[in-house]
Amino acid sequence: MIRASFIASALLLTAVAFAHPAPSSILKLEFQAGRVNAEYWVPVSELEFARAADAGGDFPAYLLRHIGAETSTGTRWLMKLGSVRETTYLDHPYLVTQLTFSPPAGAAPRDFVLIDDAVTHEVRNHVVYVVENRGPDSALLGALQYPARRLAITERQ
Amino acid sequence: MSIKGDATRHRPFVWCTFRAMIPPRFHREIEMRANLPLFLAIATLAATPAFSAQTVTTPPCTPTLGSGAAADVATAVAALRTMLTQDQLAAFERPLDLHSAIQWSNLPDGIVKRTTLRMGNLEPKQAAAARQVMETALSACGLAMLDEIRLADDFLERVDSRHIGWTSANYFIAVLGNPGGKTPWILQFGGHHLAYNFTFNGRLPGATPMFLGTEPIRFEMKGAMHEPLPVQSTAMSRLAIAIAPHPEAKLSGTFTDVVKGVVMKVEPGQMPTGGTDTGFPQSYPAGKNDRGIEVGALTKEQRALVRAAIDSFATLPGAKIAAALRTAYESPEAFNQTYVGYAGSPDLSTLGSYVRIDGPRVWMELVVQKAVASPAELHYHALWRDKQSDYGGETGQ
Repeated sequence: MIRASFIASALLLTAVAFAHPAPSSILKLEFQAGRVNAEYWVPVSELEFARAADAGGDFPAYLLRHIGAETSTGTRWLMKLGSVRETTYLDHPYLVTQLTFSPPAGAAPRDFVLIDDAVTHEVRNHVVYVVENRGPDSALLGALQYPARRLAITERQ
Repeated sequence: MSIKGDATRHRPFVWCTFRAMIPPRFHREIEMRANLPLFLAIATLAATPAFSAQTVTTPPCTPTLGSGAAADVATAVAALRTMLTQDQLAAFERPLDLHSAIQWSNLPDGIVKRTTLRMGNLEPKQAAAARQVMETALSACGLAMLDEIRLADDFLERVDSRHIGWTSANYFIAVLGNPGGKTPWILQFGGHHLAYNFTFNGRLPGATPMFLGTEPIRFEMKGAMHEPLPVQSTAMSRLAIAIAPHPEAKLSGTFTDVVKGVVMKVEPGQMPTGGTDTGFPQSYPAGKNDRGIEVGALTKEQRALVRAAIDSFATLPGAKIAAALRTAYESPEAFNQTYVGYAGSPDLSTLGSYVRIDGPRVWMELVVQKAVASPAELHYHALWRDKQSDYGGETGQ
């Protein structure tokens, strides 16, 4: 039964890729004490269009220009980039980047404004799904599509 | 069967700066795509609307056939009801609420499962009655498009190795609410590349959301050439060509799909979800920036092309359904405040070409996407929304 379910799921996943030529981005947030870890999945096909419109610098510099976080009053959080790896998800090449957001002194570590237009500044139909990751569980916190580039984030209880 | 006249002329890649970021196994494929200029030039020329008109035998589209009157369509629905089993009725009749209304998609049934009455499961008499419902609700143009789009799915069925559900059998019909002449109800008909959502007796006249698409753009089947969206693609292309000399008509950005359509949420480690109209109600551009050129600034000839493009969508439902909408869109005040814009190639010959009509109420867009079954080719997605009367204003706008 489990095996049949797994096979059915695998077939669905490959079928989704096959029928889905404009893949979305996913930003998975994980709330930690005093910081927020994030894993940013961005499809290469859509990122290519965005990089063509803003080709300056290397990929880390590009991400620093287009992703960030700040308090509701506009004080910037510190964002650090970790590893970048290449993978294939649903038949689409993706780049997966580890990010860490740290609040300024005195700011609440659970409430902030996420900023992201790494793809959406160029690709008008592109959607970034922002989810909170809690192990195998996750919850949709919101989505960004041009012209929106800011999303108020509050950790769910 | 064969596909004729479709090809992709890929936009230039800023490839050198990006190459290092992409796994080597993808380099050869992408570079091969970028080195097909002769083939693509020939194929792209053959794919232009002007050429398609010479090769396709699609009959001329005249906006007559069904009236679209609520009472007439309700009568046809009642006739179908008498032929259905209890299980079929349970699939066919749904509550008039937001959840039921947004259950349309431009993804195949193998990806976004439909649960309403499947055309492929009907007995011949039932299928004829269901068709009578659509004949009553649609213009001749709308019915011809329905047939052609379903046929395109039959064309794809032979290459459906991943079982994603391409077939004309995977089109579905439902009514939301109680069909009749007075209270609000919705008629839904849809499948992979088609979504008709007609609201009768609603707070506002409702012909939308309407999704249209086709892959392939044109194809040969049983000795005849078919092209499901010749009227819409030609009308939108002629409009884009006419306004292209105006710099403000060019929209910024890149379009890899329609902007206000359905989106599937795919998350590593989770099963994909969505793919229905969960983005409803939508927000729309405001102000004058980056919306294209205002119709009020166009010449008489260009304005006629805008009307033709609007009518290429708005004449698909029966006249009673869309008459008020056409009047609203083309009233002098609304018409002059409507913006028209394009991106990519105005002749729709290249991947990412896009045309949009964005008025006080009307939102119509057509985009040229990479084909799914044959990625070297192209396919169309098109969407008509009304900023006030999607679902007849009956679902919480």
